[in-house]
Amino acid sequence: MLLGIALFGVLMVEAQVKSITGTVTSAEDGTGIPGVSVSVKGTTIGTVTNIDGQYQLDVPNDAQTIVFSFVGMKTIEAPISGSVVNATMEADYVGVEEVIVTGYTSHRKSEVTGSSVQVSGESLANMPVASVDQALQGKIAGVNISSSSGTPGSVQNIRIRGRSSITAGNEPLYVIDGVPMVNGNSSATSSGSNLSMLATLNSNDIESITVLKDASATAAYGARGANGVIVITTKSGKSGKADINFSATYGFSNDAIDGPGVLTGAEREMLAYEALYNTYGEDYGLASPAEAGEWYAETGYFGNDYVLWNEAGRPETDWADLITNENAPMQEYNLSASGGTEGVSYYTSVGYMSQEATVIGSEFERFSGALTLDVDLSPSLKFTTRNNASHSYQDGLLETSAYFSSPRASKFFMPSIDQAYNEDGSINYETTTLPNPLWIAQEDIDDSKLTRILSNNSLTWDTPVENLSFTTRVNIDYRVYNYKRYRNPLRGDGDGATNGYGWQAHRNSVNYVFQNMVNYSLSLDGGHNFDFSAIQEYQENRRYYLDADADNFTDVGLTNLSSAGNPTSAFSEYTDWKVASYLGMVHYSYDGRYVVDLTYRKEGSSRFAPDNRWGDFWAVGGAWNMQRENFMSNVEVVDMLKLRASYGLTGNANISLNQYQALLSYDSDYAGEGASYPGTFGNNDLSWETSKTLDIGVDFGLFQNRISGSIGYYNRETQDMLLDVPLSLTTGFNEQTRNIGRMENKGYEVELNVDIIRSRDMNLSIGGNLGTNKNEVLELATDLNGEEINITSTIDRVETGHPVYGWYMPTWAGVDPDTGDELWYINPEESDETSSNFNDAEQVWQGGSAIPKVTAGLNLHFDFKGAFIDVNGYYAGGHKVYEGWHRYTHGTDVFSVFYYQGVDLLLDRWQQPGDVTRYGKFEYTGRPWQRHSKFLYDGDYFRLKDVTVGYDFNPSLVDAIGLGGVRVFVRGTNLYTWVKDDYLKYDPEVGPSGETGLATPPVKSFIFGVNVKF
Amino acid sequence: MKTLNILSKLTIVFLFIASINACTTDDLDPSTEQNKPVEGGIESDANLYGIVKGAYSRMTASGYYGRDYIINNEVRTDNCFSNGNSGRFTTQAGFNYSENTGFFWDEAYRVIASANIVIGVNPDEMTGDVDYIKHMQGQAYVLRGLVHFDLLKQYGQQNAGGSLGVPYVTEFKGEDLTPARKSVDECVTMILADLEMGYSMLNEDYDDSPEFITKYAPKAIASSVGVYFKKWDVAKSAAEVVINSGMYSIIPADQYVSSFGVDASPNSIFELAFSSTDNVGINGLAYIYRTTGGGSYGDVQVLDEVADLYDEGDVREGILGMEDDMLRNIGKYPDNQGYDNVGVIRYEEVLLNYAEAQLETGGDALTPLNQLAAERGIDAYTEVTKDILIDERRKELIFEGRRYDDLVRTGSDIEKISLQQNFAATIPYGDYRMAWPIPKAEMDANSNMVQNDNY
Repeated sequence: MLLGIALFGVLMVEAQVKSITGTVTSAEDGTGIPGVSVSVKGTTIGTVTNIDGQYQLDVPNDAQTIVFSFVGMKTIEAPISGSVVNATMEADYVGVEEVIVTGYTSHRKSEVTGSSVQVSGESLANMPVASVDQALQGKIAGVNISSSSGTPGSVQNIRIRGRSSITAGNEPLYVIDGVPMVNGNSSATSSGSNLSMLATLNSNDIESITVLKDASATAAYGARGANGVIVITTKSGKSGKADINFSATYGFSNDAIDGPGVLTGAEREMLAYEALYNTYGEDYGLASPAEAGEWYAETGYFGNDYVLWNEAGRPETDWADLITNENAPMQEYNLSASGGTEGVSYYTSVGYMSQEATVIGSEFERFSGALTLDVDLSPSLKFTTRNNASHSYQDGLLETSAYFSSPRASKFFMPSIDQAYNEDGSINYETTTLPNPLWIAQEDIDDSKLTRILSNNSLTWDTPVENLSFTTRVNIDYRVYNYKRYRNPLRGDGDGATNGYGWQAHRNSVNYVFQNMVNYSLSLDGGHNFDFSAIQEYQENRRYYLDADADNFTDVGLTNLSSAGNPTSAFSEYTDWKVASYLGMVHYSYDGRYVVDLTYRKEGSSRFAPDNRWGDFWAVGGAWNMQRENFMSNVEVVDMLKLRASYGLTGNANISLNQYQALLSYDSDYAGEGASYPGTFGNNDLSWETSKTLDIGVDFGLFQNRISGSIGYYNRETQDMLLDVPLSLTTGFNEQTRNIGRMENKGYEVELNVDIIRSRDMNLSIGGNLGTNKNEVLELATDLNGEEINITSTIDRVETGHPVYGWYMPTWAGVDPDTGDELWYINPEESDETSSNFNDAEQVWQGGSAIPKVTAGLNLHFDFKGAFIDVNGYYAGGHKVYEGWHRYTHGTDVFSVFYYQGVDLLLDRWQQPGDVTRYGKFEYTGRPWQRHSKFLYDGDYFRLKDVTVGYDFNPSLVDAIGLGGVRVFVRGTNLYTWVKDDYLKYDPEVGPSGETGLATPPVKSFIFGVNVKF
Repeated sequence: MKTLNILSKLTIVFLFIASINACTTDDLDPSTEQNKPVEGGIESDANLYGIVKGAYSRMTASGYYGRDYIINNEVRTDNCFSNGNSGRFTTQAGFNYSENTGFFWDEAYRVIASANIVIGVNPDEMTGDVDYIKHMQGQAYVLRGLVHFDLLKQYGQQNAGGSLGVPYVTEFKGEDLTPARKSVDECVTMILADLEMGYSMLNEDYDDSPEFITKYAPKAIASSVGVYFKKWDVAKSAAEVVINSGMYSIIPADQYVSSFGVDASPNSIFELAFSSTDNVGINGLAYIYRTTGGGSYGDVQVLDEVADLYDEGDVREGILGMEDDMLRNIGKYPDNQGYDNVGVIRYEEVLLNYAEAQLETGGDALTPLNQLAAERGIDAYTEVTKDILIDERRKELIFEGRRYDDLVRTGSDIEKISLQQNFAATIPYGDYRMAWPIPKAEMDANSNMVQNDNY
């Protein structure tokens, strides 16, 4: 059918034609301009100029006008008066006004009333990252991105303008080609690597990404827009001859930050004897740590690890080195074609990406394909189909905690006196303290496979009523996910009586979206322009999940459940959620000077009880383009000066399913039979969490837009927060989800770009952005006595008047030089009194939280005659980071020198009276978890995110070998990191919890690439 | 005309598509394929049976009988200590706990919530066997009494110089969602009342296995309540009912060690079901009691002095074993994957309760004590003292989570003396740490709650 239409289209152009030629020259220096688009007005007939600026085009006999267009030049229309049509083009620094895609609609930048920032696909393509959102870091003011892990394919944590909710999600809504999407982690396991759904998208297929931050911009998605919206637009076809692109990149990566160093075997032994000396020296008459060492060997009471180690000749093992996949290779290939003929245009691509992780035994691979077709079924009916399919494979690892079998944990938990290999060179899997990571990487399996098909189909009818159109759209997002875990029977989580363990999970998810849209534009005399849109939308998500596990495997090397002798569980479930919405939008522009946006959305969600199911969301936005006022007409330096303001109500319903219902759960069993229990407390009053956002700003362009940017202020107050209010545990529940409490986020945002040099052969620009965020909890739930219910952990707390989850823990007071005891302030707010008993120390506010108060990006572009360099940096600061696992790795006790492994900072420990040290005396004891401010660090850091150096070959050269263009480049990411706090040794890019973990850190990579246009 | 025709058809198509989309509030009802609403979900005896099993299942949680409740009562005594191999239980063993350590408060009250659902139904309004429903309600009363007893022993101030007990919750989602603490005495009264109510409602015809509360279980538990709170008459009469029932017997000497690997032995009055498909895995008792060659946590090691506890020929010594240099509990909860049932109360304990109650009330304590001795490969006792009884309890019930209760109820100081102990000092009887702190989460959410002293 489509083919038929396409052929028909081709036949159509076989009409009577004539040939015209011409030359396009530059007004600046009179030379020919290559690559100018030349087309017949009102048709798709066109070509481009050659290296000398000449063209030849066959045009229909009845063609009237030729259009010449080129990026950065003023478009020219010239009448066809003979067989030669020449043109002289001049630079246009003002006229190339960006069109901002805001999801359902798009507007020219001057007509945008909200705070939206668009990033072009060009700057996202060829980034050596599996998931495209990673590429946004540092590009947009107020957007804070941290990766949950450096394992390729992992989820990125994105916070737009801080944290707006305590219980409901804080992730922005993702919209792809006008359709709200589900997003986030696709993995079935919480102990292994996670897998981002966005990793299924090939960044080379993306035309642009727009981040919508304020109420006016997000109101169209109002009910789910409170955390901001990320709008992704995929590429579509452009008319003209096929534009074929091929790109290939190859590179390698390493950890961006090495992380803390650990004790060597000799250091560990020295500290171990010191611990014995400090603890038992007096009672057993030991004169020195050395004597304690002899005593250790004699008694055998504390094990004989060091005795054996000394007998073996004191061999050191560098576990950090062993688990590292140095210079982990990555490669990516993409082939795309776009073009079109009369009535049909297409974009199609195939891509392949593979990336090894910087830790042994882990990699990511993706195959993807895309096809977009725009077909004019008739002069008034247009059909568009956008299809993306991909298959992602992630060979993951245990990494989210200090699992004994996690290779990332073994650096900090495996003693450096343990041996990785046997004398015969084979892997020593038997005698290491923890399972040998080399063995685990070789034998165990943690595989995720995700296949995703996205199909977005729409039909648009331009009705006979002028400027009235209908669009109907069906979007299907289908995902098939498989997870396979296997644990070998010889050592690790499947050893002993388990005798091999297997777990497999399977999930089918489908997300349907149906949209009907009516658009009507009206222009009245006197410059009044109206755009009306009415949209109806229905979305449903269905998820089916099945998993099973088993142990006792028949034989080594057989890893599927069919080979397991003892099935231990089977589980399946089905869940769904539904959202229905009605949306009305009015965009009014008077003479391009005054712009008003009105948006209203009514949305119903299955997450709430029938009486509270529907929510109303709205926004009002206005803009004043002052440069178009008469009084500004003489001010030539100002090309753009737009004041904008918006205010509106957006929502968030991102909570677990079925929370409003008091439900019995049945996923329990007892004595071989199923059992039930009350699973949720229920709350029929549950409804939307809402945010009121005020946004004001100025967008400007000066000196022919050489200086451009914006300055803005925002204030977002979240109210009726969806909050898991802690219940008295005597109810049998931990919490009840309620709408209660208020929280505020406010701050300033600045974007600035300066073109220092601007010419055809040389350009230099420098830009930056900066966003601030101040978060404060304004109100929380109270109990029956009117007392505020706080949420307190051992390190943070939610309380009014403080940032949400502000750091709250005992304050460390150093090490007592006389005794070597660690000291804490009993209550630093009242006195300087200290105690060596940790339980005496009160938890107090430490200032700040895990959310940066300031984030900033910096970018620089320079090009000269085809050579170019792009530099991009990111800064986050004003927040604090807490080091996890310090009980073990920083313990001056058995954990670091007898059981596991300590960091080398421990060498700065107390040994004798008078020592002023960071760590107290070593003792033979195992201290409990004592979380305090010693391990709370300033989180400020700057990272050189991206440096690209490349060269576009001279068009004449390329043309001579029959190509349209060739670019070669070298790209480096995360090449340099500055961290403010010397004690923050882990990667400073820490997730929203603010606690460092043992996941793979972000990677530093170099890639070499080539792009060829045919 | 033809154009108009096409237009009208298209309009109809668009209106049709739009109408499919039109959505009412009811259309947005979510599926609940895995759940049933509480209201309307419990209408038959079969529904109620599910809830009852849910209550038992909640008792098997790792934080309760699955591990922590038992371990905490061993690791704070002269039986065991934590070597900190994985960092677990060092806090408890060192008496270093604070209100941030939750212990089993939440797990326990979850069991009570489930029990209260069962108690709250009206048997006459349900479908099914009314007698059976009442039998299940009897089980629920007993569970409610038992769990409050466990809570009271750990959080009540009876050994820490105070009089506050714990909140006694008798309603599921009742009026008072932020209950205050009752006094210790009030709690004891309510516990015994619940046990008595349960006893009166339980029906022997429905008794099945000791994996559920059966007719004489409330009496067995009541004998322990009596012993703990020195209500010797209560202990004595309750124990007599169990003994005279003739339902249970002492496990014979040759089966003593192996009985811990067998479900539903003849000495078992109430035990919780664990199996290959229903267990707490690495968070279970076996995983913490043993390292099994390095694969499991193995933090909770046995004090060396325990090796000298048993006389020559005492079959109970067979529970002990070595892993390298470390003395270990090898025989109780023997399955390393945690597939063994966990006992809550067994006949031998009732017998020892009885002996102690006899001793305290001037009766014959020697006979029940020697009945046990005869099956343990040791000489018969010729006299009975309190110390002998407490010692015998230690030998019989070691590693089963009874030692700490026995120490504190007899007013003993707790000595921690081992070379490898993290804590080498004496916790004098009456120390504030003999009552656990109320968890921080409870204090945050419930302003009627009073914290124990010094936390």
